[in-house]
Amino acid sequence: MKWLELLQVAGVTLFSAVTLVVLYSLGVRLTAIAGDAQQKSPGLMRSLAYACFAVCGAAVLFGIYLIVPYFGK
Amino acid sequence: MVALVIALALFFDFTNGFHDTANAMATPIATGAIKPKTAVALAAVLNLVGAFLSTEVAKTISGGLIREGSDGIHITPDIIFAGLMGAVLWNMVTWLKGLPSSSSHALFGGLIGAAVVGIGFHSINFETVLQKVILPAIFAPLIAGLVAYLCTRLAYALTSRHDPETGDKLTQKRGGFRTGQIFTSSLVALAHGTNDAQKTMGIITLVLIAAGTQAPGSGPQFWVIAACAFAIAIGTYAGGWRIIRTMGSGLTEVKPAQGFSAETSTASAILASSHLGFALSTTQVASGSVIGSGLGRKGTSVRWGTAGKIALGWLFTLPASAIVGALTALLVGTGVVGVIIAAVAGTAAVLFMFVVSRRSHVGHHNAVEVEEAGHAVRFRKKKKSRKTTPSKDVQR
Repeated sequence: MKWLELLQVAGVTLFSAVTLVVLYSLGVRLTAIAGDAQQKSPGLMRSLAYACFAVCGAAVLFGIYLIVPYFGK
Repeated sequence: MVALVIALALFFDFTNGFHDTANAMATPIATGAIKPKTAVALAAVLNLVGAFLSTEVAKTISGGLIREGSDGIHITPDIIFAGLMGAVLWNMVTWLKGLPSSSSHALFGGLIGAAVVGIGFHSINFETVLQKVILPAIFAPLIAGLVAYLCTRLAYALTSRHDPETGDKLTQKRGGFRTGQIFTSSLVALAHGTNDAQKTMGIITLVLIAAGTQAPGSGPQFWVIAACAFAIAIGTYAGGWRIIRTMGSGLTEVKPAQGFSAETSTASAILASSHLGFALSTTQVASGSVIGSGLGRKGTSVRWGTAGKIALGWLFTLPASAIVGALTALLVGTGVVGVIIAAVAGTAAVLFMFVVSRRSHVGHHNAVEVEEAGHAVRFRKKKKSRKTTPSKDVQR
């Protein structure tokens, strides 16, 4: 039966989507904090935000890497 | 006959791309994240790339739905021709009427109908149909919707900012999501390529197997992949222009953060299922996500009437195209004359619908299918100022 595979799809979808959204949201949040006037270390926040975006992008690329059969073999 | 079927299959691929550009690119264009021209070109290119990435879905279709070869049951190119005719005609009708329908289900319906009439009930592998088509069709939109709901909640929770002393709302600064949408919508386009372009590849492979030029159970050949990839890319590009023209005429209230969440869920759901060879409908998954993300925002409720209408459209697609496919199979079954009649009648019908579509006003109702899903969610709180979306000027 394909229930297991269906469950797998559900799990993967949930995991990957939530990961991406959380990472990206954190990035957005940190960018916003970095933009605040009274913020003491905008540079740090900004670099943290960029780190979030970078990890998010890497996660996407990794996901695609997993899917392409060419790399899988 | 084989050449005719391949031509028809590529045309189906074209209509598929034509139909579905909106799914990927409607929201980023609407929120002003990308310029329309760029968006359409991007979608076309990514569809092309996506089509090359994975061929799992193609294998599902070419080897499974209909029992070919060894059991002594021979599906002929005629049957596939009839099935495709059913799919193409249903696709054109729904496109004309602006119904949110799934190109994939039209294809399966057409094929099943044609096979039942042309060969008989025993020719259909109902178990595979149930496992790889029906079940994903029910669950994929649900999964995508649920995930989109969670993601939207998370995105809003993580980015809501309050002043620590007074508790007042600060400026939320969620503009970053608009940039993010460029990437997520690109992913959706890519996912579309990995799932929808595959269906045509599967069909052409099926024809080649049926005609005896390819071994049963083998995957699509390279030229088939390339041809399908280009057909869907061209379709995407052509379809995009209609959307650009109609973008100014009102859109769902999708905020960048919502769009981002919805698209992420859509892309991951489609990519995950493509990888396992589930042939699901991108339209339905995208609709599920849009509804889910709409619910994730505070102060929303579902318009069950509209949602029901969408569901009804989904239910009808399979049987309706099955009937068209079956009728064509009957006609084709009468011999060469029947094939010619079917081909001529089909072409005439498609041309007729194309002419009608040219004359009728192209509104957002028949350009953006997911739009319908967006309407299924009612927003209680309406924002008066639309500062966050300075998209009105960009769209024109």
